[in-house]
Parts: sequence; C-alpha cells; structure tokens
Amino acid sequence: MNNNTTQIRRNLWEAPWGYVESFFIGIGLMLTGFFLEIASSSGSNFTISYPYNLYFLTGFIAFLLVLYFVFGNTQLVRWLTKVPASISSIVLVTSLVMIMGIVPQVPSENGIVTNLGLNKITSNWAFLLVLFQFLTCLGLITIKRITQFNVGNIGFILNHLGLFLALTAGMLGTGDLQRLSLNTYENKHSWIATDANNNIVELPFAIYLNDFLIEEYNPKLALVDNETGNIADNSGKNLYLIDKGEDYIYNNYEVKVEEFFVTSGRIGDRYMPVNDLGSPPSAYISVKNIENDSIVKGWISCGSFAHPYQSLKLDDNYSFVMTIPEAKKFSSDIDIVSKNGEKTPTILEVNKPFKYDGWKLYQLSYNDKMGKWSQLSVIELVRDPWLPVIYTGIFMMIAGAFYMFWVGNKITKNQ
Amino acid sequence: MTWIDFPLYSGIVFAFWVIGLIVLLISYKKKPLIKAANILFTLGWIVLIVFVVKLWIELDRPPMRTLGETRLWYSTFLPLIGFITFFRWKYKWFLGYSFIMAIVFLAINYLNPETYSKTLMPALQSVWFVPHVLVYLFSYAVLAASSIVAIKGWYDNYQGNFKIETLKLADNLVYIGFSFLTLGLLFGALWAKEAWGHYWTWDPKEVWAFLTWMGYLIYIHYRHFHPNKSKQALTILALAFVVLLVCWFGVNYLPVANNSVHTYTD
Ligand code: HEM
Repeated sequence: MNNNTTQIRRNLWEAPWGYVESFFIGIGLMLTGFFLEIASSSGSNFTISYPYNLYFLTGFIAFLLVLYFVFGNTQLVRWLTKVPASISSIVLVTSLVMIMGIVPQVPSENGIVTNLGLNKITSNWAFLLVLFQFLTCLGLITIKRITQFNVGNIGFILNHLGLFLALTAGMLGTGDLQRLSLNTYENKHSWIATDANNNIVELPFAIYLNDFLIEEYNPKLALVDNETGNIADNSGKNLYLIDKGEDYIYNNYEVKVEEFFVTSGRIGDRYMPVNDLGSPPSAYISVKNIENDSIVKGWISCGSFAHPYQSLKLDDNYSFVMTIPEAKKFSSDIDIVSKNGEKTPTILEVNKPFKYDGWKLYQLSYNDKMGKWSQLSVIELVRDPWLPVIYTGIFMMIAGAFYMFWVGNKITKNQ
Repeated sequence: MTWIDFPLYSGIVFAFWVIGLIVLLISYKKKPLIKAANILFTLGWIVLIVFVVKLWIELDRPPMRTLGETRLWYSTFLPLIGFITFFRWKYKWFLGYSFIMAIVFLAINYLNPETYSKTLMPALQSVWFVPHVLVYLFSYAVLAASSIVAIKGWYDNYQGNFKIETLKLADNLVYIGFSFLTLGLLFGALWAKEAWGHYWTWDPKEVWAFLTWMGYLIYIHYRHFHPNKSKQALTILALAFVVLLVCWFGVNYLPVANNSVHTYTD
C-alpha cells in the first residue's frame, strides 16, 4: 500500500494526458459531429470521389508524417501515440457502430434518429470525426513503429498498417465504387444498366445472353395442417427431398414415394413425364397411417406459374404437399461484346464472377416466379478501383493474425 | 447416417465423457488417474468426429448451415481447446469445463431434433464457406472459454486469492480467439466480394462481429499497457463477451435483424 505515497496526483490537463482527457477530447469530437449533423440537415450523403479522395489520402498521410516528424515533441502528438488516446477512440468508434447495430439504417420517422443521423452512421459527422481521430492514432503509431523498425515489430506493423490501409481505402474508395445492375434477356443484347438510385448508366460494352440455366434440388415433401395450412411436422425442420423409392416417416404416417417425375403434366387423373414450358415436378406417394393401418395413395405436385398444385388429403386433419424446388445452381451463358465487336464468351455463376475491362460481373438473380423457365438473368457489374489497396491491407492483417496466433503463444511459453 | 442416428452416437459420447469427468474429479486425489480420464475423453471425441464426418458425407454439403449443426461443431471443438490448454498449460479445471460445455451443446441438440435438409443455397456454395464458418466457431468457442476464466478470476478475487496466472490464461485464449476472429472476419470479407460483389455491407451480423472484434481489441491493448490492473481487465473481458453473445444469439432479436444474409434458416 506504500504505492499511494509515491504516486503523485496529477491535475486535469497536466501532462501526460490520461483516460479522462482522452475521453474528454473524444466525446467533444463526437458532440461536435452531432451538432454538425443537426445543422447540416441536408439528407444527401457526403462522399468524395476521384481525384479528390486521392488528394485527401495523400494529404492525410503527409499530415501524419508532418505531425510525427515536425511536431513529435508536442503534448498533442505524444498523447496521440499513447494507449489512452487509442483506447478512447476505439471505445467511441465501437459505441457509434453499436448504434448502427441497434437502429436500422433506413429512413426513419423518428425525429431524434433522423436529426442526429443515427440511421446513417457511416456518413454521420460524429462517426467521421471520431474515426478521423482513430485513424490518426493508428497512423501515427504505425509511423512510430516503422521508424523504430526491428524484427519483433513485424506483427505489429502487419496488423496496424494493414488495418490502416484497409480502413482508409475502404472509406475513401466508396466514392469511386460503382455497382450497376443489368437485366439481360435470352438471345438479346443488353447494355443499359441502372445504379443503386435507379439512374440509367450506359455500359461501354454489351452483354448477349445465350442461355440462362438453373439446376434445382428435388422438391421436398411436407405434411400440412388442413385448417391452418402450416407445416405440421416438427415445425418444418424435417422435410425430406422427394425421390423415387424413398421411404420416410412423418409423425404417424409412413410414406413411400412410388413414382417421381422432374417435369410432368397432368393427363386425366394422373401425371405423365412431359417437358413443356412450365411443366412442374410430380410424385405418386402411398401413405400408411400407423395408428389404424389405413392407406391413402395419390399424386402430389407443387405446380408452376403455368399449372396448379396438387396436394394429397390424408384425412380431416392432414395433407401431404410438395414444396417448390430450391435452386441448387444458376448460371448465365453470355458473350460480352465490346464496342468494336469483339466477343468474349463466359459463364457467370454465383460465387464465380468474371473480370472484364476493370469491371467484375456477377450473376445476381433471375425471375423467380418463372423459376427455371426464366428468360431473364440479372447481372451485377462492380467497379472498385481501390480494391488492390484494400486487399493489401486485408492480406497484411491475415498475415498479422497468423503471427499473433503464433507469438501470442510464445510470449507465455517463455514466461 | 443422418441426424436420426444422433441419439445413439450422442449417447455413447455422453457416457464416455461423463465417466471421464468423474474420473477427472477423482484424479484430484489420485493423480495418475488423469491418464484414464483423458483416454475416456478421447474415445468419446473420436466417436463424435466419426458422426460429424459421416453426417457431412451423407448430407452432401458441409453441415454448417443450421443452429443445430453449429452446436455440433461446438461440441467437437471444445474438447480440442480443453486438450490444448491442458497439454500446454496443465489446467485440469479447464479441461473439465470444456467437456461439460461440450456435453451441454450435445444435450441441447438432443432435445431439439435437427433438420435433415440437404439443400444449400447457391451463395453458400463457395470454397470460403467452410473456412469462414469453422474459423468463427472455433474463435467463439475459445473466446467463450476466456470468459469462463474471467469468471474464475472474479470469483478468486472475491475470495481474496486471485493469481495473475489466471489472467495470463485468459490472455492466451484471447490471443488465440482474437486471431481466429480476425481471420473469420477477413475470410468473410473476401467471400462476400466473390459472392455479392462487396466485401463489407454493414449487415447486422457483420456489425456485431465487428463490435465483438473491437471489444477484444480494447482488452488486448488495455492488458498490454496496464498489466497490473487485473480488475479492470476482467471487466473489459466480461463486457466483450456480452457483445459476443449478442452477435452469437442476439442479432436475430434486434430491430435490425430483418435484412441479414446471416440469419440461420432453421
Ligand atoms: C488489427 C488490429 C490490431 C491488433 C491485432 C493490435 C494489436 C496490438 C498489440 C498486440 C500491441 C502490443 C504489442 C506490441 O507492442 O508489439 C499493440 C499496441 C498498440 N496498438 Fe494495437 N492492435 C490493433 C489495432 C489498433 C488500433 C485500431 C489502434 C489505435 C486506434 C491501436 C493502437 C495501438 C497502440 C497505441 C499501441 C502501443 C504501441 C506502442 O506503445 O508502441 N492498435 N496493438
């Protein structure tokens, strides 16, 4: 307890600044941001795009270097490179992101939410100012460690510089990010895309959709309550895929799938394999009630946009139905046609985008009412010139994480 | 081999582990018995791994889509964490804790019969799916374990026999858990870029994963610079875990949940 006698009490704002001063400054920045938010009640989001974001980044880095090398001895810079400043800015960034995790980020009726911009945190002045301090701390500490380089600092630099790059490039890059969506139709050229705000954008190339393909899982079998129409078996968890020859047990019914057609048509009171536009799957099932040994047999089908569905009524309480098949895979067979007529054929699939002329093309969606008969394929086009910087940061952090995993263990082993 | 066989397999695992725990308890008096306990734990673990592998093969997709499948992975990972901490740092109580938690997850699964669904939506069919999910689950399990250490620290503090070693165990676990959390977050970003065209969309689950990450970041920095302020460090660790719990279970109940790509289809 004799520690207390040696510990001299420090007055507020006397060097070195500690947590109280750090939070004072941090919260001050945040409140300033909220005032700005109220004052600038314009609804539009503030973003900067090329070349201004590049100027800003260069300026910011120059600012950090000047701060560190010219004003390195000032109270302010010494404070910024110490842990209290970092922790307070991490805490404040965390608090503001937490608002984003609670208040839906959509237009709101609530006056407080709208005036303070709590529903658009990522472009909120309070967030931007607090993040600015956060990045300043992070940048300065990174410069400090780089100038005092030694091998033991590698992990530190990977983590801190990586995060700095990924965050700044991510923030500044949003202004240059383009995300367009393009509707393409089978056997047609399409080049008029729309952006997020539904503005029309003409592409420098056209896309010709040769074929839209969809692979489906088999439909599932469900037991439903006749009255409510809800799935009656085990809250809908245990739905089996329908396939010829399968036996299943649903509650006290034993089901055998005697016939299954992937595409079929109704002829009289039965289904036959047919392959027309909109022919739905169907199955012939036999259902035995275990309690009274009664057997019911019949056809079920999930129907399609062109045909009605067919369920099998077991008794007063329950029926069996077939669910609409889920997509397993969908893809577009396209040709990208440049202005001078050059064709680049490719197949777009979910999770398999294609790079073309600075754009990345993604398979986005299709007409889900038409399902596998959809003639429409929606393609998303993304351009993100800052991506290489962001990826550099991300891969540095991945390396940093491995390093931390490894060294985190080592430290304790030696102790 | 599907979830239908789960009661059988989990029963065998359960038996091995409960007997193992009893032997572990006795080993506090009779030291050599610890070997027997570890053999029992390992046998049960092998049975569980066999179940997971067969389930994966049978479902024809990674069993990582539903909450029940997630819990199965916790039951599989917790023993691993118990073994690692035991063989590295010799924490017996922690070995026991890991297996008790693994049993709890098995029991929850036993009481909530699981989906047999084989379908997997196209966006999830990616090489990133398995690493992203496994790394996250492992990280959550390790970080959850670090909070148990924090609780022990608090309890010891209250009893007046707090040892700094307890906090060091917490540090070890946080470092491991945090590096995996970072990997999970970044793998997720790389995957999202391939599947949806953007690496980060502030989806509610992403927001809370980010918050969890920041919470442990505070702990790491605080610990590094105030190595003797153990009480404050324990408080930060507990708060970070609350955020992790929200991320893990709570997101679905928040007003922001509607639009998440991460809500489990149970
Ligand atoms: C990827 C995320 C991060 C990781 C993994 C991380 C990890 C670490 C570790 C392990 C240390 C101490 C080890 C050492 O001294 O070599 C440290 C120090 C530090 N970190 Fe971080 N950190 C991260 C992000 C941040 C952020 C966002 C800030 C500030 C806003 C920050 C500010 C600091 C400061 C000021 C130090 C003290 C450095 C010194 O005194 O030389 N870190 N960090």
